[in-house]
Order: sequence, then C-alpha cells, then structure tokens
Amino acid sequence: MSRLAQALAEGKFVVTAELGPPKGVDVTHLLEMAALLRDHVDAVNVTDQQSSVMTLGSLAVCHLLREHDVEPVFQITCRDRNRIALQSDLLSAAALGVENVLCLTGDYVTLGDHPQAKPVFDLDSVTLLQTVAALQDGHDLAGKPLQGTPTFFPGAVVNPGAKPLGPQIAKMEKKVEAGAKFFQTQAVYDPSQFERFVRQVEYLKVPILVGIILLKSAAMARFMNSNVAGVTVPDELIEEIGSVPMPERPAKAVQIGARLIRQMRGMCQGVHIMTLGWERHVPPLLAEAGLE
Amino acid sequence: MVITEQKEFEEILASLAGNERIYLIGCGVCATTWGTGGEKETRQMAQDLTQAGKECTGWVVTEEAACDVRTTRLLLRRDQDRVKRADALLVLACGAGVQTVAELVDVPVYPALNTLFLARLQSLSLCDERCRLCGDCILAQTSAICPVTLCPKGLMNGPCGGYEDGKCEVDRERDCAWVAIYERMEALGQRERFSVIHSPKNWRAASHPGAVNKRAEKAAVGGER
Repeated sequence: MSRLAQALAEGKFVVTAELGPPKGVDVTHLLEMAALLRDHVDAVNVTDQQSSVMTLGSLAVCHLLREHDVEPVFQITCRDRNRIALQSDLLSAAALGVENVLCLTGDYVTLGDHPQAKPVFDLDSVTLLQTVAALQDGHDLAGKPLQGTPTFFPGAVVNPGAKPLGPQIAKMEKKVEAGAKFFQTQAVYDPSQFERFVRQVEYLKVPILVGIILLKSAAMARFMNSNVAGVTVPDELIEEIGSVPMPERPAKAVQIGARLIRQMRGMCQGVHIMTLGWERHVPPLLAEAGLE
Repeated sequence: MVITEQKEFEEILASLAGNERIYLIGCGVCATTWGTGGEKETRQMAQDLTQAGKECTGWVVTEEAACDVRTTRLLLRRDQDRVKRADALLVLACGAGVQTVAELVDVPVYPALNTLFLARLQSLSLCDERCRLCGDCILAQTSAICPVTLCPKGLMNGPCGGYEDGKCEVDRERDCAWVAIYERMEALGQRERFSVIHSPKNWRAASHPGAVNKRAEKAAVGGER
C-alpha cells in the first residue's frame, strides 16, 4: 500500500502538493523544491506535460522523487499516448515502485507549445482508470495475462466549479465505478460552493482533496476568472490580495490560503496545493492552516 | 453532404502547368448544392481558365454524383470528342469524384476543390460537421450527438474538466458535446444511460487506409421465407 493510500485509510487529513518537471534535464531546482516539501506533505504530484507544454517526463521525475524519499503521484494523461503506450508506462511505473497514479484526460494540444502535434486521446480518464484496474487484475486490455501483477493507488480529478455541474458529477460517478480511490479538485475559492458540491457527491464515499492555488495577485485572480474553467475567485478575495503592496503579497496569499483550508477542512479528506512556483510558501501555509 | 471549398485559383493554375487544353467536370450532387462545383461554378472556372490563357475544350456537370463510376463513365463517353481533345481534366468535386474521373481517362486529372467534411446542411450557406466516418457508430449511446466528431478529444465517457457554461475549452464558441449529450438524455428521460461506461473505441473499424472493394450486402429480393 502506498504511503498516500495508508494515510487516507488511517483517516489522516492528507496534504499533497505538485511539482512540474523542467523543460530540459537539469533537475537541481526541482529536487531543491522537493526537499523543501518533503517533511510537510504526504505526497507530491508530478505533472504530465502540463497545459500541453513539453517537459521532462512525469515518470522519470516520480522515480527521482522516490530516490529522495518523497512520495510521488504519477500524473498520466491520455493526450500523448495510445492504449499500448499508456499500459506500458503504467507497468513501468509499477516496476519503479510508483503506485499512486492520477488518471487524467489531459489538456488539448493546441493549448501548449506544440499546437501542431497529433492529439491521441485513444482512452479517456474513465477507461484509463479501467485500464489500471485491469492491470491490477493481472491482465492487459487485450485480456493477456501479465508476468507479475502491479499494484496501484489510482486517483482522478473533478472540477467542483464546473457549470453545469450535473455532467461533472455524472462523470465523477463513472470514475469511481472505474476504480478511482481518491479525487483531487480544481482550485476552489468559494467554500460554500464547495460545501454544496461535497454534499452532492457524499454518496460516492470517496476521499476528496480540495485544490488550493495561492492567490499571487489580483491580476492572477482575474486571469483565472476569465481563463480557467470552473474557477471563480470572489470579488472580496480579489480586493483583499489587491489591497496590499507587492512585498506583503506572499504573506497575504498565505493568510487567504490558510483561511480557505481551515474553512474547508471539515468538508473533505485532504488538501492538494498547486504551488505554481511558490513551493517555499507551502510550509508557512500549512502552519497557518494548523496542519503542521 | 460532403462539404468542399474551391482552391485558390493560383494553386489550380500551378497544378495545370504544362497542360494547355482543359476539360472540366463538376458534380451534380454535393458540390452543386453547396455551390462549389455546380453548373455556375464550372462555367465560371472555364471562363477564368480561358482568361488565364488556357483553352477549354468543354465542360459538363454530372447528373448523379461524380463519384458514381457508372454515370460518370457514360457522360465522358457521350462527350468523348471534347474530352479527348484535352490534355488534362479539372474536377470540381470531392476527392472521391476526382479519383473516379482519374480512373476513367488516360490524361492527368486535377482537383479544383478541397474536401472538408461530412456535414449537416442548415441552409445553402450554413453547415456543420456531423460525422467522422469512424466505422463504429456510437450514436445509440450518446443520444444521437456524436462526440467523436464534436468533442475535440473524441471522449467516450463524459466531458473533460474544461467546459465553461456548457462551452468547449478548446473553442469557447463551440458547445461542449458531452454537456449537450447529458442535457438531451435528461430531456428524453434517459439520464441513466450516461452512467454506462463505454469501452475504448474500436479504431480498427475506422476506414484507414481506405476501404478496398467493399461489397454491399443486399437482401435477396423475393427470397426464401
């Protein structure tokens, strides 16, 4: 059982963070950030060509994290690999001892830095979760037996702010049926909206880690409001972060983030912090949220 | 309906380089309805080519679809004097029409159109793509809305997390196919159908490379009871 699975099974309020591999092979900074997070979080997600921007691979970085005693969550998307490559990479993950896999559809290719690339999407997040289940069951998608059965702790994502919400919840239900054992959410800034969402999906009885992105500035908040689906930063928060001068913003962002975590802590089983380069603010954030 | 668009005239002229006497063929079905290769467009193309210094030996618009070998062969035979005088043929039809003509003559055949997609025609000037010819129709499971065609990711089990107010993350002008499927299922009282998990699509059924000599399976007329 992975350490993340163990922590959730024990009913611990878990904390995960996220690291994006570099474009290139110099992992010095990445490993520094991993070391900074190590003693504060239960696991660290490694993104898979996030926003369709080509980088060093998620699996290689997951392996490096394990070598540095950081528990990785292997993010795997359907954008760039067909079912043969996805199954192979899942086996590779298991062979390297990477158990936590976050199964994602993936952003569309035109969003990234190689917009001419051929999009794959042979599987989707639901059938990818089924694939994980098949491999754990000792066979591949063609029904052929595996030599050695892998162990995984599969997770998925959900967007509590999706409009309309019905199709999002209906898909979440399919992900649970397909084997998702935990969910990480898109960033949430409105605890009452999150509470309504959580009530609607209570029947699924699956751990949910609420997504937190530190608000770096009012401009960032407005950008997310107009460009990130399902993310709504309320006006009060935009004013709050906008009201302080630049040097005081990290402290204010941490204060807002910690408040959101405290408000939503009782509604879910953990928190997933998407750091976007602000890894150094995670320890103070968790301290202020009372999670250390 | 197969939707086509006329190529830039310069591109057509470039492909005709070295050929001086041209015979033109339009298509009487899709390209006529959509206004890319009907009588009017074929006549105009003949004029434009003449102005550009070519000699048009003649032109015809097929009565049936240009891609129907039987009728296109007859037409070319009927007009064989003018066809034979040409040292190249220019076809104002979809790719299937161009290739049909090319196999009936022994001079070079060139396309005047780009073939775009299979569409629903909303008016004579408005259409939208509706079918990707994937060979494994799933419309029964998706309340007759095709996610293979209408979802950029071709998802099989519901929307991704990128839709906003029912619009697609890739193009905010586009409706999210899966939100539309969900809403139609609800309206039809078939919401439970959304919960069925669909297996990965069978891409082997997709016709690529092109299908070879597919035979129609016809019911025997007046056959055994």
